[in-house]
Amino acid sequence: MTPPTSNDASTASRHSSSTALPVERLKSRLLAKYAARISARQVQPATQAVWRELPPDLTPALDSALRARGLERLYSHQRAAWDLARAGRHLVVATPTASGKTLCYNMPVLQSVLTEGRKALYLFPTKALAQDQVAELMELGRALTESGGEGIRAFTFDGDTPGDARKAVRTRGDIVVSNPDMLHQAILPHHTKWAQFFEGLAYVVVDELHSYRGVFGSHVANVFRRLRRICRFYGVEPAFIFASATIANPAELAERLCGAPVEAILESGAPQGERHLLLWNPPVINPDLGIRASARSQSTRIARMAAKLGLKAIVFARSRLMVEVITKYLKDVFDQDPRNPPRVLAYRGGYLPSERRRGEQAMRAGTVDLVVATSALELGVDIGALDVAILNGYPGTVAATMQRLGRAGRRLRPSLGVLVASSDPLDQYLMRNPEFLFGASPEHARIHPDQLLILLDHVRCAAFELPFGDGETFGAEDLGEMLSYLRDEGVLQRQGARWYWVADSYPANAVSLRSVAEGNFVVVDTTDGAQTIIAEVDYGSAPGTLYEGAIYMVQSQPYQVEKLDWVGRKAFVTRTRADYYTDAIDYTRLKILDRFEGRLQGRGAVANGEVHLVHRYPGYKKIRYYSHDNVGYGNIALPDQEMHTTSVWWQAEPAALEAVLPDRQKAIEGFLGAAYALHHVAALRVMAELQDLGRAVGDGQGTWFAVVGNDGRGQMRGPDNEPLEIDGTRRFEPTLFLYDNYPGGVGLSAPLYDDAQRLLGDARDLVAGCACRGGCPACVGPILAGDEDLAWTPRQTALAVLELLK
Amino acid sequence: MADRSLAGRLGRLRGPTKDASACVDGSPTASGDVDPAPLVRAGTVAQDSFADRVQRLMGGSSARSPGAPDESSLAESIGAERIAPGVLRLERLLDGRTRHGCAPLSCFVLDADPGLQRPLVEMCSRPACEDDEGLRWPAVFLDTETSGLAGGTGTWAFMTGVLRQDGDGWRLRQYLLARLDAEPVYLEAVRDELADAGTLVTYNGRAFDGPLLTTRFRLAGFPDPLHDLHHLDLLGPTRRAFGRVWPNCRLTTAETRLLRFVREGDLPGSEAPAAWLGWLRRGEIAPLSGVLRHNRWDLLSLAGLLPALARSFDDPTAFGADPHAVATFHRSKGREALALRLLESERGRLGPEALLDLARLYRRRGDWDSALRLWESLSATGDQQARLALAKYHEHRTRDLTLALELALGLPPGADRERRCDRLRGKLTEVGEDAGRDIEGDRRLAPD
Repeated sequence: MTPPTSNDASTASRHSSSTALPVERLKSRLLAKYAARISARQVQPATQAVWRELPPDLTPALDSALRARGLERLYSHQRAAWDLARAGRHLVVATPTASGKTLCYNMPVLQSVLTEGRKALYLFPTKALAQDQVAELMELGRALTESGGEGIRAFTFDGDTPGDARKAVRTRGDIVVSNPDMLHQAILPHHTKWAQFFEGLAYVVVDELHSYRGVFGSHVANVFRRLRRICRFYGVEPAFIFASATIANPAELAERLCGAPVEAILESGAPQGERHLLLWNPPVINPDLGIRASARSQSTRIARMAAKLGLKAIVFARSRLMVEVITKYLKDVFDQDPRNPPRVLAYRGGYLPSERRRGEQAMRAGTVDLVVATSALELGVDIGALDVAILNGYPGTVAATMQRLGRAGRRLRPSLGVLVASSDPLDQYLMRNPEFLFGASPEHARIHPDQLLILLDHVRCAAFELPFGDGETFGAEDLGEMLSYLRDEGVLQRQGARWYWVADSYPANAVSLRSVAEGNFVVVDTTDGAQTIIAEVDYGSAPGTLYEGAIYMVQSQPYQVEKLDWVGRKAFVTRTRADYYTDAIDYTRLKILDRFEGRLQGRGAVANGEVHLVHRYPGYKKIRYYSHDNVGYGNIALPDQEMHTTSVWWQAEPAALEAVLPDRQKAIEGFLGAAYALHHVAALRVMAELQDLGRAVGDGQGTWFAVVGNDGRGQMRGPDNEPLEIDGTRRFEPTLFLYDNYPGGVGLSAPLYDDAQRLLGDARDLVAGCACRGGCPACVGPILAGDEDLAWTPRQTALAVLELLK
Repeated sequence: MADRSLAGRLGRLRGPTKDASACVDGSPTASGDVDPAPLVRAGTVAQDSFADRVQRLMGGSSARSPGAPDESSLAESIGAERIAPGVLRLERLLDGRTRHGCAPLSCFVLDADPGLQRPLVEMCSRPACEDDEGLRWPAVFLDTETSGLAGGTGTWAFMTGVLRQDGDGWRLRQYLLARLDAEPVYLEAVRDELADAGTLVTYNGRAFDGPLLTTRFRLAGFPDPLHDLHHLDLLGPTRRAFGRVWPNCRLTTAETRLLRFVREGDLPGSEAPAAWLGWLRRGEIAPLSGVLRHNRWDLLSLAGLLPALARSFDDPTAFGADPHAVATFHRSKGREALALRLLESERGRLGPEALLDLARLYRRRGDWDSALRLWESLSATGDQQARLALAKYHEHRTRDLTLALELALGLPPGADRERRCDRLRGKLTEVGEDAGRDIEGDRRLAPD
């Protein structure tokens, strides 16, 4: 056996001499052929490694295990992490993808396991990452035993861990690798079973820090409050080690998460190959309508060119459906001969773990040339080296963009990243403002751990775990007041100076860290009488993807849903050869339940309050491949999806509205266009993803709402989605809603209400400053051919509404 | 301005429906008031003030009602003694003639015969792997009543009953936690009860009562007294012996069937949490006495079930147990003779699976004739396992390869059958067709 080569640099240069050419060839070919589509480009020069010695106090077994794996030296940031971690400080390492962050925490953890018999808890946002990590630790463990040292016991603990193995994990694990949801629902509420583990706990490792933002981050910060509380009960004060992709405020985020000062390591000592980055705007195919070619057509074209030059590329798509569509198009080109191993592979959430593991293996083995993936691959799943990363649409945040782009160019090779813009306003904004991407990260990951509902949920969970004592604190709110509230609810009882949990319930089960956990759906393939589970779909996505008649794709093999067992959470499918895919039509009905506050603004009013929301999926469209023609419709019979949430809404004074836009049809379209623009600028303003917010136009009482019909015109619909005559005699008070797309709301609407005026200014600037004539997807949404020549273009009507409300 | 109190803010965020459903005891909450007006221009919405709520909280129905828990009247009413503030103990001495179900309590003593105890010992969880002959004495029967079934650190064992032999009679003690902050004292009392226990006997205690008490001890910062204790969970032997013949293995089912004890006016275990909460919140006493009686019945049934179960493993038929399951258990512990005896005595009532096991036991002790008769009669009814056994028997024992092949050909198709048939054909060629026919002999089975 030849030992693995230890000299990173020499391997890299060997690689680069043989592959530098194709990446540059691809780039110059793209530049030569499509100069007009490239709105900006950047080259990040290669950087040299900054080396440090292995720490002298490294225990000999670990020292030789590392050396046996070819690690003779450390990158500067790895050594810095060691020094801080061994001093017991909380720290965050925020260095680029593939800079060796894992070692930053594995080294101090293993040292403490080996020399002090201490324990560590690793948390990853997903199960797949946890499994990767255990595989990595096992390898290190083998190296340790081979160097004559003691092994380490690292176990995953997640929903898949069988009941009879859990005890061994609890009592024997040196390193337990889990996720925040398990910590929240299974570990903390049963902490006495983990007593031994907690008593030895020295480190809590939190990787992928940047993904802990928004709702999820706010929840996790509270889970960490509970964790630290339990640790104090067992007399330990573990150090937190965070690892993060590049964001603007890693230290601040880490401090908010763990509630203590955190040292930041931001300088990477890892070498990096030359990186080329292109911003690609699809060509305008209808200048009047501002319609551009689809991002999909561009992404597949670039991927094809890359593969033909012998490069390995990954295409990131924003939805599971888009992954399947792109995969199909690429497979049609590269995988026509079924006798050859596939060169194109789809990777996304919803596939079974075994299938994903197989995919990861094929990628690492290098038999796959093109990978099409969703964010499921964005996080640190190891798939080996790639040359080109193509982003089909802006992923929504700069951090996610950089992390996806970082997938290309491991091992010092030069790499190419292409961000292909979609027609979404955010994408178009980036094409016009590339410094947003090229400069220092503008993104501050925000969390609101003291959001009242989230906080109260976790006070509840914490009270279940250990009684609160008078004088204790938890979060920024008055704990005593919250405890009294819970006593009033009947779950707590105060006696002596303590607050005891007395209810017959398990509160963590009612609190989901991410969304409403209503149970996943499984997709069962019944082709030829079989009963094979081929995929899993989360509750929220099920109504839009698993309705009867839907085409559901797995590895671009279409399956048709024959039967949906809503209660049993099962979709029965059969393999099909349909030449179309399906897209659900959904609409939202909204009713105001309670108004918290309101004020007059402009020629109207803005308010903030609680709404009741009904999502309905009345039917779906069948869309033919390639031509993207709509070739038919089907009905969907599904229960309505209901939600209580908070919302901000705007109304215009009826008289003022009539004076500006006497035509009610125009007024409705103006409100729809204004809602489109407001939705986008609002997402930026509150640092949320677009889907964290929803928009709707209606009367707020559920008697009518407006949608863009299949004919592209604004339509008024009744409570059961039936078309209504627009020029009826009814009272006409259109209301524009932006709602918090999370049950109960996560506090997104209150800041929107406070900022309402600025928001309207932003929206007006977006619409007014757009380069199109009458309106386009980058400002008010797609418009109909010919509308740009109207006396009142959709853009003008939207502007009129925005001016009225401002 | 909108109400800035916690309740007001929560009410706004949460909305009326959620709040009402979150309210456990159904007392009215602030946000029940909703202004249905869709849009009130620049107006305010009425909300209960936090002070209103606090007042309701302090003086209202939920937390400290005027009828606050009164321990001494509780103690008096249930006939308990208050051993510390918040900890009540109810003790009863029962003489051996007291009846529980079909027999007086005095019968509930295991025979001195350690052989009878053996199966129970084997199903007992023992911290160390001692090879005890009989159960460790004294046995302490234990049953808890809890604040819920959810598990985790938020579930209380508010009542712990223990029963043990005392001279010719029995001593039954029930500890009731009447104040939450008295739990350490309560746990100490329970710990003292367990101090000299040889074996802890419970029903479903391995999964429920045991872990729950362990959690409570750990939360209180005490060492776990259950850790080194022998623990016999009677649910195990019950499931094994009766799991396939009873509709379920609940304690009430077991006591009705084995002890002919029928509860009248029992408070269902599921109502225990509400009874305790009713006491804590409103000082209600009556439901708690129901819980105490329920707990006593559980304990007496435990004591009755121990010998009944032991005997069920010795003579399953007499107790209506599943003879096959019991025999299988004995066989797995190496008591083949006993297993064989049990199956033989029930032979007429056994299903094919049990008969196959019986044949296997015959075979293992070399009684090929008895085994053969079983296989043949089973095979005649189309039993494939028996056919397979016969094929093996003729291949290896009588060496009637032709017959073996014929039998093998009748097995269900699959790789196993092909392998077996190929092997037999190979052997047949080796010894020559004629030889094969010779061996065929006259005991050939009529092909079906």
